[in-house]
Amino acid sequence: MKNLEGEHNQNSDSVHSKETKPCYGMVIDLRRCIGCHACSVACKAENKVPLSVFRSWVKITERGAFPNARRYFLPLLCNHCEHPICVINCPVKASYKRDDGIVLIDYDKCIGCKYCIASCPYEIRFVNPERRTVEKCTFCAHRIDKGYLPSCVNACPTTARIFGDLNDPDSEVSKLLANNPVQVLKREMGTEPRVFYIGADLFAMKERF
Amino acid sequence: MEIFEHSRTIYSVPHEIPLGVLIAVYFYLTVLSAGSFVISVVANLLGLTQYKPIAKITAVLAPLLLMIAPLNLIIDLEQKPRFWELFVFLNPTSPITWGSFLLTLYPLSAIIYAYFVFTGNKSLSRLFGIIGIPLAISVHGYTGFILALAKGRALWNTFLMPVLFLVSAMVSGIALVIIVYIGKLWWFSKGKSPEEMEKEKGLVSNMCGILVGSIVTDLFLIFCDVAVLMTSISEAKEVAHLITMGKFAPYFLGVELFMGGVIPLILLTTPATKRNLGVQFAASLLVMAGIMAMRYVVVVGGQYIPLSM
Repeated sequence: MKNLEGEHNQNSDSVHSKETKPCYGMVIDLRRCIGCHACSVACKAENKVPLSVFRSWVKITERGAFPNARRYFLPLLCNHCEHPICVINCPVKASYKRDDGIVLIDYDKCIGCKYCIASCPYEIRFVNPERRTVEKCTFCAHRIDKGYLPSCVNACPTTARIFGDLNDPDSEVSKLLANNPVQVLKREMGTEPRVFYIGADLFAMKERF
Repeated sequence: MEIFEHSRTIYSVPHEIPLGVLIAVYFYLTVLSAGSFVISVVANLLGLTQYKPIAKITAVLAPLLLMIAPLNLIIDLEQKPRFWELFVFLNPTSPITWGSFLLTLYPLSAIIYAYFVFTGNKSLSRLFGIIGIPLAISVHGYTGFILALAKGRALWNTFLMPVLFLVSAMVSGIALVIIVYIGKLWWFSKGKSPEEMEKEKGLVSNMCGILVGSIVTDLFLIFCDVAVLMTSISEAKEVAHLITMGKFAPYFLGVELFMGGVIPLILLTTPATKRNLGVQFAASLLVMAGIMAMRYVVVVGGQYIPLSM
């Protein structure tokens, strides 16, 4: 199993930066994504996500007509925003942001008012039909705390998902952000997402314009 | 562009609409309550004897409606037994936290007010009426903020939402009072002299005048809202299309604007019909149906367009 200090993957940097507080984020390099859905499956297995709901999935779009046609993939997950509207709007503070930037939900506190689902511009939250509380991607916080990578990153066969500390200039994510044109989803919402995309397609990011 | 007409989404995960009809009904009842409370206090403060019966009817309606309204909210929770957390774990940035206190304080003040109205204590009923008015206005206003602060949704995320909710509260509140008042007139009309009936009818016509003014203001605000949506960012344009030409057009154009706005306006301004109690009753019923359609269009229509598809 790859871990945060792993020797044979692109995340060879230490995610636990020694000098500064870590701020976790993800870069998704769509030039590498082959749309295999391994991340979706790994997420489901790791987090025991019930049938009919997903914490992370790969949106597939298609454009053009033969022979000038192509499919585009866009893995979606919680953006772990710097200014999360879900945390701002949660009436009981069940949604909260950790010091390392990960946005989590306290399942024992959530009353299921669903206001956060209605507020989230990325429609990433849902009601867990078994637990009857709101749920979403956690960046696999339970794995990060033990020094492992998120399950989707771990499962990606083409290393399209890269996870790390955005505050550490030597981390793989920081290097990618420094050297590539990157985009986020719905920048105009002012939420400052921490999931960045390289090579995301306009139509895939937003079907309508 | 030709190329984008050949674009399609092959796969994505759709999500359910989180806030449904229960929430729309909650908004409707809250706003009816607050609207009738304001009318009651205004009628009471004016101190005119002819407005006394209105003050009494609305003083009962306001707390009654507001005891039913929050039940919708609790039923809508996924974890109903945890509703008490709203009063313990407070988040000052969340409009729902503001609401949990407003929805407690406002009915309390409305009940105390009603008690003093019925026991005929003038000074105390005035005092609690004046205390209750800012609470009643906050109860309308905060429901608008709930929607306006959910910034992912283009139909909701406008400063106009709280204002629109205040005005539509006025509209439906007055319509409800007219309906109840006319009902009462019909029920107790036997023992009344023709002069008394004329006086009562004059009072109803006065209220219909205020209703016409509120409907015009409401229609103007809706026009402003839709006009800006249609020329704004892509999601706003899309939701404007949804409510004017798409799936929600029958509710928005048909029920909310035409049935609940234009027809009552015509009925209540045409000299031949505007003084007829039956017409006034029917027009008020149409107005109330229109405002319910407005709640439905705003709450459910606002979430209809998926964000991640």
